[in-house]
Amino acid sequence: MMSVFEAAWVIARRDFVATVYSRSFILFLIIPLALFAVMIAASLWVDDAQANASQPKVAVVADSATSAALIAARRRLADALTPVSERRDGRQSRSFPILETIAPAENVSVQAQRLLADEASGYSAVLSGPLDRITLTGPSRIDESLGQRLGLIVEDARRVAALEAVARAPDAAPVERVITAQAAGNLQMIRRGIARSVMGLIFGITVLLATLLLSNLAEEKTSKVIEILAASVPLDAVFLGKLIAMLGISFVGLALWGGMAGLAYFFIQAAQDFMTLPQAGPAVGWPVFVALVLLYYGANYMLSGALFIGIGGQASNIREIQTLAMPVQILQVGVFFLAVTVVGSTSGTLTWFAYIFPFSSPMAMIAMASESETLWPHLLALVWQAIWVVLIIRISSRLFRRTVLKSASSSGFFSFGRRGKA
Amino acid sequence: MSADLAIEARGLFKSFDGKAAVRGIDIAVPQGSIYGILGPNGAGKTTTLRMLLGIIEPDDGRRTLLGHERPLEAAKVVGYLPEERGLYPAMHCREAIAFMGALRGLPLDVGRKRADILLRENGLGDYVDKPIKSLSKGMAQTIQVFGTIVHKPKLVVLDEPFSGLDAINQGRLEQLIRDEAAAGTTVIFSTHVIHHAERLCERVAIIAGGQIRFEGSVADARDRLRPQVRLKTRASEGPWRAALPADAVLRDGYWDFDLPPEGMEPLLKALLDGHAGIEELSIERRGLHDAFVAIAGEDAARQMGEDRAELGEAA
Repeated sequence: MMSVFEAAWVIARRDFVATVYSRSFILFLIIPLALFAVMIAASLWVDDAQANASQPKVAVVADSATSAALIAARRRLADALTPVSERRDGRQSRSFPILETIAPAENVSVQAQRLLADEASGYSAVLSGPLDRITLTGPSRIDESLGQRLGLIVEDARRVAALEAVARAPDAAPVERVITAQAAGNLQMIRRGIARSVMGLIFGITVLLATLLLSNLAEEKTSKVIEILAASVPLDAVFLGKLIAMLGISFVGLALWGGMAGLAYFFIQAAQDFMTLPQAGPAVGWPVFVALVLLYYGANYMLSGALFIGIGGQASNIREIQTLAMPVQILQVGVFFLAVTVVGSTSGTLTWFAYIFPFSSPMAMIAMASESETLWPHLLALVWQAIWVVLIIRISSRLFRRTVLKSASSSGFFSFGRRGKA
Repeated sequence: MSADLAIEARGLFKSFDGKAAVRGIDIAVPQGSIYGILGPNGAGKTTTLRMLLGIIEPDDGRRTLLGHERPLEAAKVVGYLPEERGLYPAMHCREAIAFMGALRGLPLDVGRKRADILLRENGLGDYVDKPIKSLSKGMAQTIQVFGTIVHKPKLVVLDEPFSGLDAINQGRLEQLIRDEAAAGTTVIFSTHVIHHAERLCERVAIIAGGQIRFEGSVADARDRLRPQVRLKTRASEGPWRAALPADAVLRDGYWDFDLPPEGMEPLLKALLDGHAGIEELSIERRGLHDAFVAIAGEDAARQMGEDRAELGEAA
């Protein structure tokens, strides 16, 4: 008899080749890239739309000196809030409203009313009067933020005017910067960010893989090969083989997506020097962290995959598979939120629960790896998770043999016979 | 348990949802023989085979497969064709055969070479790289049969191997079974077509209602019935009529009756002395079908016929 691992390898190799050469695998590879592209495009579009929408126009109805003072004040404030790299490209913070100079008419208050009523111009408010007696005209519920920002502009213009009146230079020396490697608060923030990003990535890929696993189960349903498999190798090997194949497939996907992301990063980096990797890394260091992420990713996938196979094996048709898979998917979401919640915490009941509960353990341990240098808990956690994978596979195969692998009933997913042959 | 037996089972019992499917089955399959399990659908043939192979565990009883009490331990030298045919549709023929061999421990490259040989020798060389989904049902079944024997097993278990095949492919499969047996392989197959068992098997088990009704050689099964005598005479009446057995029936001018226990000689003397004028006289050994009817009953025999008609099978 072949050993469980030999037999699992035969099954895994078949499933791997069959899946990699299937159309569903191409979809599996393309869907995340397409989703990513759509998300990027949507976020850029939303950013642009929001920026345009959040930069109101204000008419300045005043003499030319007042208008110039207000516009200069606005530029100073906007520059102060614009990052250096953007300032070099001639961009400016959009935090302050656009000021447009309008020559004052005879009756300024009537002119202000008309300007606010003119939909084509689209003014949100009107500033009028000399600098020392500025009037802000606008609706009674004028945007508080707009009012505050206009107040800052007027304040700055008056301050500069006052300093100029006593012949003093308005600009003091800029603040001197001393660069340090890191700040503790910043480091924590970065590490938590890394942990959350990795968790999100693992969650997304595992959910995506569940679809492939279910289609693999559907293939078994239609091909009816399971009886041959069950007569040739232990059922544990069949289940394990399927999981290993799917894990291998996901690593192919990861390698492809990772490669594309790396290429994209280097091209963009070469074209525009605006993307930088965080200097601060996870507590265990990048190489160990990457190794641990891969191991925990495998454990996370094997745990939820074993559950999927175990439950899916009990179903009698594709629709039933989807229905039965729903509780597992809900569990996955719950586990993800639990793990994300404990990021940044290393003690407390919830944190320990997340470390110990087998399904949340892989992701919670990633959070630990990002924030704590201690390595031995990871060895313990990986062994613990492996035990649970074996346990779930064994229970699933026993259940499968007892409830499904029988000839007198056709209630199960892999049940034999069209009409209960014996 | 005997070392000369490829399969030995004692008192196998299996029930599903409280309903007994198999009730105390005993089977002994000699090594190198062709063994048939005969019975209508629902008799317990498939459940028996699955228990023998360890796909399902018996509720009670013991079995050994090539000397192993745990059938999977013998998996490398066993080939199995299930009744519910299963192949991956996208797989190419060569790969499908090699994969089935690999499940039995045969290295893939060896499996591929043997698959090529099997396909070529059986005139299917053009199908080596064709996907299973492009084949006819009979052709796909042939590929699966090749997958069952590619690793050169010592024991081949075939569940209803002839169902779904046309007469030509049935003939080819019969020859393949004979070839395997000639090479020393033990072949056990289930069928509800008596002719296949009669043509191929040395020993049979007749199952009905989850129980073995007969287990032994085909000759023994046939010998359970007395040979049939067929007689045609020129004289229709005469004193010789009194010498005919009480169960003699006249059909289409022929008298049919079982050979009397005392043999033909006293009857022959009475016919000659009574001037019956013997035109034709034949003594025929009974067929397995008659034996089956006598052993399993008319109902089981009728159901076998219905099963065949339903599946549109060739005899």
